[in-house]
Amino acid sequence: MAAKLWNWRLWAGLGLSVGALAGYVFVVNETRAVFWPALLLFVAAAVLLVSGVQRRSREPELYRGKIAGRVLTTLSVVMLGLFGFVAYQVSRVFPDAKNAPQIGQRAPEFSLVDTNGKNFTLTQLLSNPITNSSGVARATKGVLVVFYRGYW
Amino acid sequence: MAVAISADTNDESRELSRKANLTFPLLSDRKAEVIRSFDLLVPKGGEDNRDISGIAEFLLDSSGTVRWRHFGETRAERFVDEAKKL
Repeated sequence: MAAKLWNWRLWAGLGLSVGALAGYVFVVNETRAVFWPALLLFVAAAVLLVSGVQRRSREPELYRGKIAGRVLTTLSVVMLGLFGFVAYQVSRVFPDAKNAPQIGQRAPEFSLVDTNGKNFTLTQLLSNPITNSSGVARATKGVLVVFYRGYW
Repeated sequence: MAVAISADTNDESRELSRKANLTFPLLSDRKAEVIRSFDLLVPKGGEDNRDISGIAEFLLDSSGTVRWRHFGETRAERFVDEAKKL
């Protein structure tokens, strides 16, 4: 009997699931919009897995993948579950931030008071020269603005 | 130059600044107006259902334009690397 054909769709399905999860985790802190492309990859993975399993059950003489089909589908479902879990955690801890200033956009002006009662505005921070450790003043190159959840 | 913004009161920030020996200013945005204008509000995300800020970092150049940004915590070396590019 001739060797059966490799049921590549099953493996591609798992590969896409792994890629979708890894890609999402890797990029989500840069942009939250990566959720939808990742979900799309999972849909593509599901299509491949289903068609791979169907192909095997239609032509069991021709294709391999009886056990692989089950194992790889299960693994992909686990990937999808992890994706859902991470996405849920992200949505709980981080805001959507759809309208947060993008790279290339101007940050909105602010005026806030620090712990010593000193007022800081963004304009001041950008225009005041800074003094280095040897006392030489020079124009500021930029400002890092950090938002944090707070002290509790 | 770096500043850090939260919805904490000045008293809370002072406590944090002292305990963590921070050298940069902690700015208090009690009404979360600036946090809202950056679209970072997490409604009722804090203790006692307080509105708080999500974690985010923006590196602005001298014109106030965002050159790099990141959501969530990150390592300080990232800031340094990005700031060197300015």
